[in-house]
Amino acid sequence: MKIFFATDIHGSEICWRKFLNSAAFYKADLVVLGGDVTGKAMVPITAYNGYWQVTLRGETQRLDSKAELDEVMNRIRNSGFYPAIVSQDELAHLGENEGAVDQRFSEEMISSLDRWLDMADGKLRGGDIPCILNGGNDDIFEIDNIIESSPCVSFGEGKLLDLDGFSLVSMGWTNPTPWDTYREAPEEELAAKIEAVAGLVPDMGRAIFNFHAPPYGTGLDEAPALDENLRPMHGGAVMKPVGSTAVRDAILRHQPLLSVHGHIHESRGIKKMKRTLAINPGSVYGDGVLQGAVIDLDVKKAKVSRYLLVNG
Amino acid sequence: MATESIGETPTLFLRKATGLVRGWSVRDSMIYAALSTNIVTLGIYEFSFQSFIPKGQLLTSVLISAVWVSFLVVAYAGLIVTIPRAGGDYVWQTRILGSGLGFVMAATGWWFILWLWAPIYGNVLSVELFQPLWATLGDPGGAAFFGTHNGIFVVCLITIAVAGILVSLGMAGYARIQKWCFLAGLVGFAVVVVLLLFSSKSNFISSFNLEAHKIFGVNNAYAATQAGAAKTGYVSPVFGFGPLGASMLLVPMMMFYLLWPNWGSTLYGEIRGASDFKRVFTGMFSGLWITVLLSVVFLLVVAKTFGTDFYNNSNALYWSAYYGGKVPAAIPIWPYPVMFAGWLIHNTAFQVALILVMSLWFFGWVGTLFLSSTRVIFAAAFDRVLPDRAAEVSEKRKVPFYSLILMLLPAVGLSAIYAYSLKFETYTLDATLVIAVTYLFSAIAVVILPFRKKELWAASPASRFKIAGVPIVPVAGLVTIGLLGYNLYEWLSNAAYGVNNNDSLIFMGVLYVLAIAVYVVARLVRRRQGIDLGLINKEIPVE
Repeated sequence: MKIFFATDIHGSEICWRKFLNSAAFYKADLVVLGGDVTGKAMVPITAYNGYWQVTLRGETQRLDSKAELDEVMNRIRNSGFYPAIVSQDELAHLGENEGAVDQRFSEEMISSLDRWLDMADGKLRGGDIPCILNGGNDDIFEIDNIIESSPCVSFGEGKLLDLDGFSLVSMGWTNPTPWDTYREAPEEELAAKIEAVAGLVPDMGRAIFNFHAPPYGTGLDEAPALDENLRPMHGGAVMKPVGSTAVRDAILRHQPLLSVHGHIHESRGIKKMKRTLAINPGSVYGDGVLQGAVIDLDVKKAKVSRYLLVNG
Repeated sequence: MATESIGETPTLFLRKATGLVRGWSVRDSMIYAALSTNIVTLGIYEFSFQSFIPKGQLLTSVLISAVWVSFLVVAYAGLIVTIPRAGGDYVWQTRILGSGLGFVMAATGWWFILWLWAPIYGNVLSVELFQPLWATLGDPGGAAFFGTHNGIFVVCLITIAVAGILVSLGMAGYARIQKWCFLAGLVGFAVVVVLLLFSSKSNFISSFNLEAHKIFGVNNAYAATQAGAAKTGYVSPVFGFGPLGASMLLVPMMMFYLLWPNWGSTLYGEIRGASDFKRVFTGMFSGLWITVLLSVVFLLVVAKTFGTDFYNNSNALYWSAYYGGKVPAAIPIWPYPVMFAGWLIHNTAFQVALILVMSLWFFGWVGTLFLSSTRVIFAAAFDRVLPDRAAEVSEKRKVPFYSLILMLLPAVGLSAIYAYSLKFETYTLDATLVIAVTYLFSAIAVVILPFRKKELWAASPASRFKIAGVPIVPVAGLVTIGLLGYNLYEWLSNAAYGVNNNDSLIFMGVLYVLAIAVYVVARLVRRRQGIDLGLINKEIPVE
């Protein structure tokens, strides 16, 4: 059985489109997206009488036609941002009201995800190609029900999914970050959440852990050390482990066959943890490149027969 | 929640999300660039080879080189902000030019050739620390030992051990001391400048003669140096700017120290704004030009107090004698200008302290230099080109044993060849040439980027910097290709650089053949295992 695993596409529409094509491209039997599906930034496009105006990377552009507007909106979406068409008054309101920005962000995230799931329906042949999605720590909770209600995508969080005799369990929560994101919990709480899903697995020799947080201190969790202003220290040359000890301990204790992670984009790598092969394919969603892992599982022997990290 | 604005108008809303870090500071970037284009460890060492292009003016060639390398800075800043957080030449070239070429260029330029940099750094450590230190401490015999085959090999081993320890310790501790090394090194440099600035030439001549006699037993060493150089047939150019042609021929030598302002540059800002390009550029550019400023100041004060003729003569005579010339050098060790400046103060403790402080320029950079090798080895292992084991890190101490072995063991072998074969030592600029070839392909990548990766280029902050409607980054890439092409032509066609002889070419050829062989074998072995390495960078269709 061949799995394609990617993660942390953060609203990049080009990466989502690639993800939907990944099963056919890599001849995978199953595709898994490990969390952090939603974007981090929203670009206001101000509507004026007969034209629109937008500032991208410091350059203000006037868009005189719908075609130009569509082209810019696509470019914004491909970068992982949400284009938000607003009136001048709305823009002023957003500029002054944090709650309004939150509200608009949620609306854009949800409508974007809806659109993405519609695309998935066509690409995944209405569910013929199994596709599993999960939330990550950066994803708002409102997306859970939307994914859950999709006919062609399975929502993995907290469930055991049977995949041709292999058991996949998912958990999108992480240990605390400096950004105080949505699905964060102290390590003890995280350990309890992990045990709740791990307890569902009948045979760890055939288990796949899909945990957003990478295991601590394994090289899959190295992020630049930051100062108090969230600026990389020492020229970004100093990395430090920021993964989860609860995830690490759970892997070492349960020894699943495979463990796939994300969260730390710059820590693309592979780590053998006793019997478990742990993988973080990393993410460079901002470049429009879908990093992922193509993993072949031997159904009879219950082992990972091949794997390859790819930049699709 | 954060907002970016132009004036009062919001242009971007950011929500709370992981990884929204700011780019690294310009100051950090500048320090790295200044340390990598190291005026003391590399610059002053390379200045000593001026006599190989006897009519060339150091000052002119430094300035020409720096202006030219500034275009390389623009080109690399463009790559860094277009494909940030990715790991440099390896990733840029594999994505833009293809996996095989990317591996060969990265393996040769960032891994194999570092085996040669180990003995080169060892030699620099010998001539800038061990030899002057032992001499100053009153043991000229000990100092001379570090110039022998055995002595150079011992210092190479020390350098390799220091590099291995620093890589094993990781960057966390080392990065902290790097800044202090830079700052203390600057203080040491300032002391040298002040000493030379406020001492007269006659004062220097008498101090030089006094200390040379005290340490080496040489009488009238200043005059002996001038006379010795004249006997070798060398005539130093008068301090100034011309002639241009000869100074242009020094440019390929200056690359030994000025070609590296981009060495430690990555960008960690995830939401890339217009300011990122300027910030990345400013950091590298400032670092490069700090080095140039220090070089100019150094050459000026040396000209004023040593005399340009004496400075060049001492170097010319030393290398002539070193390579078997009949005229012996008046000072039997490498004429380290810092040691000479220290001789202006007749106090051994001060002289020792100055040499030690200036050695921080070496220790502040040597670890980072070799760290790049382990990064390429890790990336290649994750790409399954190398065995998985190459990226293994010990559980307890987090030491990358296998990558250290792959990096340091061949370096020991090459150090032995370097130390015991005078001929091999002349291939020093091979180390620059091979990395220049790697840079050349990155420069090609930056030129074709707007055509090959249109979307990526359109989304890059680098694409909006234009002059008369022409984007400056690809144009800077073209100028960089000109710079590297010129240097490669000179290195390969002019015997003065010690690069274009058979053995040297064979040595470099072996590195490229080895890299190609590793890649081809990896593809064959992985194919047998059912893994297609060709898939690694194959782009998934969007539609």
